[in-house]
Amino acid sequence: MDIISQLQEQVNSIAAITFNAFGTLQRDAPPVQLSPNYPEPPAAAAAATTTTTTTATDGDATAAFPEQPKQLSADLVKAAKQFDALVAALPLSEGGEEAQLKRIAELQVENDLIGQELQKQLEAAEKELKQVQELFGQAADNCLNMKKPE
Amino acid sequence: MATATYPPPPPYYRLYKDYSENPSSAPQPPPPIEGTYVCFGGNYTTEDVLPSLEEQGVPQLYPKDSNVDYKKELRSLNRELQLHILELADVLVERPSQYAKRIGDISSIFKNLHHLLNSLRPHQARATLIHIMELQIQQRKQAVEDIKRRREEAQRLLKDAFVTLDGQ
Repeated sequence: MDIISQLQEQVNSIAAITFNAFGTLQRDAPPVQLSPNYPEPPAAAAAATTTTTTTATDGDATAAFPEQPKQLSADLVKAAKQFDALVAALPLSEGGEEAQLKRIAELQVENDLIGQELQKQLEAAEKELKQVQELFGQAADNCLNMKKPE
Repeated sequence: MATATYPPPPPYYRLYKDYSENPSSAPQPPPPIEGTYVCFGGNYTTEDVLPSLEEQGVPQLYPKDSNVDYKKELRSLNRELQLHILELADVLVERPSQYAKRIGDISSIFKNLHHLLNSLRPHQARATLIHIMELQIQQRKQAVEDIKRRREEAQRLLKDAFVTLDGQ
């Protein structure tokens, strides 16, 4: 997993938090009175009771609403801070593209040199190996039919 | 008795008549294509570029030159994003019908962020390539050293062998 992917994930998670924050805030906000002297509409009372029945599990949502925006905004800020932390961890790209291309070209040249070097060493090793095998063969033959080595 | 109903093989099998004697008589495979080509009705090009933001109709919020300072731009975009989110919150309270512009700004910031991060990929790729080549150079140096040492050892062993052989 590399840092750029982490950054991309972070951006997406920020977007998701934003999305969720606005959605839930709008969905769960209790209706506030337009003005104190406006009568309470009868339907709203019924609505209040039905909402309790439908989403029984988060029945505590209305009671818990005030601290929800705090939590959401806290998450948002935390995500933004993490993003900054990741950006800070990005490597400094000194010199941009030319420097990297130059570096690549140098490394390629160096690579070829060492490649030839390696090639030479290998050929030399093989030649010596063949010589030793011949010597060994002769020595073995001599031993087998009892001749002294010269 | 078998009445063959299948069509004959395609005519260019004659090109490979004396392929076995000298393979060069057969036509070479076609060279790889450069530039645009058509495939299944869709036309493609061989070099891939990242379509710029303008092409996609998104305003670019950071400078366009080639070696832009990514970290600064990313941080500034992030800050702008936070500001626009707060603004959106205010707008939704006072003037909820004008949410579209804020949403547009926020999404264009997101797009810029993604585009910026994407344009970092080539950098990362080159850096990775550099790293790989450095690793390879080290491996080869070690291989060269290794082979030199083993050859000297072999030489020494042979000399000792000769010495002992002459000895008895």
